[in-house]
Parts: sequence; structure tokens; C-alpha cells
Amino acid sequence: MIQFEQFTLKNGLKVIVHHDATTSMAAVNILYKVGSRDEKAEQTGFAHLFEHFMFEGSESIPEFDTPLQNAGGENNAFTSNDITNYYDILPANNLETAFWLESDRMLSLAFEEESLATQKSVVIEEFKEHYINQPYGDVWHKICALSYKVHPYQWPVIGKELSHVEQVQMQSAKDFFFKYYRPNNAVLVVAGNVKTDEVKQLAEKWFGEIPAGEPIVRNIPQEPVQNEERVLEVKADVPVNAIYKAYKMCARKDEAFHATDLLRDILSTGDSSRLYQQLVKEKRLFSSIGAYISETVDAGLFVIEGKLNAETSIDKANEAIEEMLAQITKEQIDETELTKVKNKIEAYMVFGETNILNRAMNLAYFEMLGNPDGINHEIEKYLSVTGEMLHQVAVNIFRKENCNTLRYLSKN
Amino acid sequence: MNRSIAPEIKLIESIDLPQYDLVHLDNGVPVYVINAGDQDVVKIELMFKAGKWFEDKNLLADIANRMLREGTSKHNAKQIADEFDFYGANINTGAGFETAGAVLYSLTKQVDHLLPLLFEIFTESVFPQKEFDTIANNRKQHLLVDLKKNDFLANRNFVNALYGQTHPYGRVTEPEDFGKISTADLTTFFKKYYNSDNLIIIISGRFDESLIKRLNLFFGNKDWKGDMPAPDITYPSHPSAELIHHTEKAESVQSALALGNLSINKKHPDFLKLSVLNTVFGGYFGSRLMSNIREEKGYTYGIYSSFVSYPHGGFIEIATEVGKDVRQATMDEIGYEINRLRTEPIDEEELKVVKNYMSGKILRSIDGPLKFSETLKGLIIYNQDTSYIQQLLKTVREVKSGELLELANKYLDFDKMYKVTVG
Repeated sequence: MIQFEQFTLKNGLKVIVHHDATTSMAAVNILYKVGSRDEKAEQTGFAHLFEHFMFEGSESIPEFDTPLQNAGGENNAFTSNDITNYYDILPANNLETAFWLESDRMLSLAFEEESLATQKSVVIEEFKEHYINQPYGDVWHKICALSYKVHPYQWPVIGKELSHVEQVQMQSAKDFFFKYYRPNNAVLVVAGNVKTDEVKQLAEKWFGEIPAGEPIVRNIPQEPVQNEERVLEVKADVPVNAIYKAYKMCARKDEAFHATDLLRDILSTGDSSRLYQQLVKEKRLFSSIGAYISETVDAGLFVIEGKLNAETSIDKANEAIEEMLAQITKEQIDETELTKVKNKIEAYMVFGETNILNRAMNLAYFEMLGNPDGINHEIEKYLSVTGEMLHQVAVNIFRKENCNTLRYLSKN
Repeated sequence: MNRSIAPEIKLIESIDLPQYDLVHLDNGVPVYVINAGDQDVVKIELMFKAGKWFEDKNLLADIANRMLREGTSKHNAKQIADEFDFYGANINTGAGFETAGAVLYSLTKQVDHLLPLLFEIFTESVFPQKEFDTIANNRKQHLLVDLKKNDFLANRNFVNALYGQTHPYGRVTEPEDFGKISTADLTTFFKKYYNSDNLIIIISGRFDESLIKRLNLFFGNKDWKGDMPAPDITYPSHPSAELIHHTEKAESVQSALALGNLSINKKHPDFLKLSVLNTVFGGYFGSRLMSNIREEKGYTYGIYSSFVSYPHGGFIEIATEVGKDVRQATMDEIGYEINRLRTEPIDEEELKVVKNYMSGKILRSIDGPLKFSETLKGLIIYNQDTSYIQQLLKTVREVKSGELLELANKYLDFDKMYKVTVG
């Protein structure tokens, strides 16, 4: 149970405070409700590039990192399809330094051409390091493009192609900032050895005068229901054949989400999971196999990915996965297996709470979804999933015409 | 309000170390107990002196450790997996250079269910051929993929250049090595090294103290001593005569770099001060290497240096991945930064930031029972206690830039560094 208090500033900034007296640290987490789904098709990768730019100096402070490090702190950020999340961890008695820094870069940036040019280079090297110069590096690009034809989830957060990052101009950065990086589009969470009164006073002092922006109206085209099986085969310089099957699944806030997540656990969490036991251990068709879900605000993907053993043909691999999934749609999940995945998820959630930064991020994320207290009801939602619900989810998801298969073959 | 004025910083002058107890089980196994925090979780870390240092054939330590979950005289691999998973636990096995063992993460309310099996895998593992074939195959396939990664290759070629194939720190694994060990080798290794004379336990989280008594019922067993303590082994190293090693990859768009040379480890009195010098050089996001090569030049997504410390040795390694066209330019900048540390005293303002950053990092390293258990583990391997943490803080607060200049001349020499590139 994560206790918290919350208030909202006049400019719309939502503030959540979580007190924990057992730590000497404070975590300051700011979530901006903007991600790669807000990008234009010809300017993909922009939200992430912009995240880099946020460290390049603000109106009154030449650089973000140094003063925070000087206060004994550490910080980082990430961009996803839906959000951009910044965090600072520092000794609680230097809390004000984080308020000073975070509020200044919400007020306005330095917008220097030179630093934009450098961050474009850095992001281009990041793109090369993780998505080009890496075996299977372009897989996620291919899965997204195959699975989404209309929705902006069709490109990955890093961007569809290098040229989009290369072509970014300063005006786009300014427009983006003053549209999305406004207090009314952000959630500030302060967790750790902090008091609500102190946070209130600091929030008013540092963030209170930042002007609100226009309310954000999103017109993101939603992906139509998929009615045909899609298969893409590619050949690349990789040592081992691989297969990826991406099934459309529900959105994060959908009531089927928890059952879908547990279905993923049944397939892939732990050595006892079905994919590993049946396809790696018993049939020895794969050297590794797993499943993951994209957990997105709009409808997401349930992906199964496996690396094939040398003797396994790609057709055989596909057939074996489909057989296993068909089996789940035909039978009821037995109680022991259901209890197992519930025990697993409960432990996972409680371990997640051992870290104040995790608690802060979760509160921010659930506020973005609509209610920070949502995090405190997650375990009960998982525990109330029935075998029948799991069965229904499996029947809905694991259909050929709902599937996007990527056959990723070694060209050697 | 003048936003260009920073709020006043409070310095970390001292820290309160978290409490822990050291108790001994009936057979003498030391158990470090960290009972704190707000969540009802338990982490049990079992460290045996059964790491790569003790193997007489490549891969034995690693595969023997991985196979602890693959079958005992009472349970097969599937039953073991089912049991740990059913109670929601995670068990991570892993072998390092010195120690090998397992970490169990469990909710406190479930941990009693898991102790018998946790003990069993360390005392009654049987290494079935069928499971060995699967694990060896999977590991080999994984290696084939790694061998396609420039950063993996650069690091591997680098440590091999430093130590050679005869030394555990330099030895690299080839795909065919998986065919050279047998289940009989694994059984012998297991019997020799996994025993109570060779074990240290760290237990952290929030639990009733009686848990230690229940732990003792299993791991305190007196009939579980080895034939002999882990021997004190030494290995010859065969450093490469060539400092420069390049592997060309026509299709690569980036090159991976690994530079460095043999150096001191944590046992050496200079190590604490050297960790400050390293932080300035390439040890954090604001370091000179990052500021120059990422933030000014935009050559890379990241570049780091570290003084890697193992119980029997250590080295400095600088690692990065950069655009192929700026490989030499990056090399030149690394040389330039080393030279600057050797000739110019570090500016007081820059040193102050590093000191404050490192003090905060020390505070974070002891925050919460699980984090503290990791830090404690790093000390135990070197027979150090938590006074080392106070010593580190004191060094960080007191070290002068003149001393760091001297250390740079003693421990950083670009001309003597191995320079390994792939791509």
C-alpha cells in the first residue's frame, strides 16, 4: 500500500507526495503526457530526441546535470510510446535543488542551436548502437510497421529512420515544448523523506508561476480491427533463425488487461512457464522463447518471440507455437497454475515497492491513467482474475487473423 | 525570484551505517542479517567459493551453477521450477570469478515453503545428461548471437589481451568448448566446491528473527562439509605483446572500443583515491570523457571508464561505441583527456561536484536493506567490513587535486594501454 497526498496548482500541475521515513533520500519524478504516439509520421523519434534536449540548459540554468550531481543526486529519463518521464534521486535535505532545476526547464529551455545539433548526433549514435549495429536490432521496427497500419505505434520510440532525427529544426522543438511541456500536461511526484507541507511550499515557489498551456486535444487515429493474418519474412546477417508473433491485445485501461498480463505469465514467466517447458525443454525446438506485452495507453501487442534451434524449420517453429496457443484456448486453466501466476505477480508488485523511485514512477503513471490510487488496487485486480477470464482473453487474442508474424532468418 | 541562483546545498559530511548482525549456523556458516525496511520481502544470497577461478576446464563453474536448478536426487528440473514459481519466488543462479551461488527473492510469508528445496539444490544436485544437453545447447546458441556484437567482441578481445587464455580473467569461450565438458566433470566440481566450508549467506529484508533458526535447520547441517577448503590457486597470465588489436567489420556502422591496462584492485591503499580520479575521468555522466566525446563532439551515445576490481587482480577499462569515421578521433580524445589529467590539476569546482556526487552515491548504496545487501556483498568478498564505506566517504571528502595529479601519472598512461577495436 503506497500512502500519498495530492494537490493541484492553479496552473494545472498535479502534485503527489509520498512520505517514507525509512530513507534519507528523495525521488522527484515528473511525467509529461507526451510520447512517440504524438509525433507526426514524417518526424518520428522526435519525442525521444526532445527528451535529450531537456538536459541541454534551461532559461536560467546553463546545464541540468551538474547542479544535480553537485547536490549528491543522480537523474535520468525515458521516453515511451505514451509518456516522457524524468526523475531525480538525491539526499532529501537537498530536495529544493531538484525543484529549482525541474521547474526551470518546465518554464523554458535555452533552445541553443549548437546543443540541438549535438543531441541529434548523440541520438543518431544511439540509433546505430541499438537498432542498426546489433543482431536483430531492427526487429521492433518491423513488428510495429507490420502490426499497425494507421496508429502512430507503427514506428518505434527511437524513430522510423535516421533521417527523421537528422532533419529536426529548432522551431519544431519550440512548438513541441510549448504545447506539451506545460504544467497542465505534467504530473510531479515527490517521494521519500519529505513532508507534504514542505513540498506544497516548494511547488508553489518554483512551479506556481509557470503559465499553463492550451488543453491538449488528441486526435490519434485508432487502429482498425485486424482481419487478416500478416506474415513478413526477412533475411539478415544473424547466426540463428528467429520468429516473432505479435497479436493485438487490449489497451492498458481495458478491464481485460490484468487477465492478459497473467496469460503472459502463464506462457512465459519463470522456468515453469509453458513456452519454456514445452518448446525449449520437452520438444527442444527453441534455444530461448518468451512472451511480453507492450502495455500501452492505446491497444497494444502481445508478442511471442523465440530463437530456433539449428534443426528446427521456421514452419515447424510457427506450428509449435500455434499449437500451444490453441491448447490454451481449448482447455480451462487449472487452479494450481492460476494460483502460481497470482503468487508470482504479487511478489513482483511487492518487490517493486521496495524502491522509492519505483513507487514515485507508479504513482505518476497511475495518475496519468486517471487515478494515482490505482496502483494500490493492482494486486486485487490480478487476484480477482478467474480461469474463465483468462480463457476468454486467450480465445480473443490467439487467432490467426489477429496475428502479425515476423520470420527473421539467417541469410548465411 | 532570481532563478539563476541555486538553492543552498547541504553537504554529506557523515553517514549512519545501517545495522546488520553476523551470526553463525551450527556448522559455522557465517550469515549476515539485515533486517529492515517497510516491505515484507526476503532476499537470501548464497555465495560459495565456486567461481570461475576454481575451474580446471572452461565453463565448469558457469554450467555447474546454472544446472543447480536442473535436477536433484529427489526432484526433476520441472518439479524444481514448479515449486519455486508456485510460491512466487524468483531464484537467480549465477557464477562470477570468485563466487557462485544463488539469490532467492521471496515474499516473507512464503519463504518457509522454499527453504527445503533451496537447500536441496545445493546438496543433492545430480546433473542429468538430458538437461545438460539442453542447457549447453541454449548457452552455445546465445554465444553465437553475442559473437555478432561488436561491444561483446571488443571486451572479450581486450581481457584476452590483458591476461591471455591461461588466466580465468582473460579466458574466452568458443562455441566448441560446450562439447568439451561432461556431466561427470560437473558432478566433480559440484561436490568439491558446493559445501558448508565454502559458503557465506546474506539475508536481507523484513522478517521474524526466527527465520534464522529455520535457515539453520537446513543450511546449518553438519554433514555437509567438503573434503577440503577451496585451494589457494594462482594462474600465470600471458599478456599480448601487441598493444593494438583491430578486427575489421566491413558491414558495421559503428566501432566498439576497449582500452586499458592491468592495474590495482580494491585491496590496494590507492584504490579509494583512484575511484575519485576515475569518476572525474569517465566514471559518471558528467565525466570528462562523457562531456568531451558525447556532449561536445556527439561521437557516441555513451563512454565510460572503470577500474575493474577482482580479488586476484584488476584493470582499467575505457569502453564505448562510436561512428566508424570517428574511431581514430575518439582514440585521440581519450589520449588527450588522459594527458590533461596527468599535466593539469583538476579544477576545484569540478572536483567539488565529483565529491558531492560520490557522497550521494555512497548514501544511495546503503539505502534500504536490499541495496545495502549488495554493497555488503562487495565488501565481504574482499574481507572488508562497513568501515570501508566510512573510509570511502572520508577519502572522497578529503582528497586533494594534487594527489589526484600524482595518481594520474602513476595509473593512467595512454601509451601503455591496450587498444582494442572491433567494427
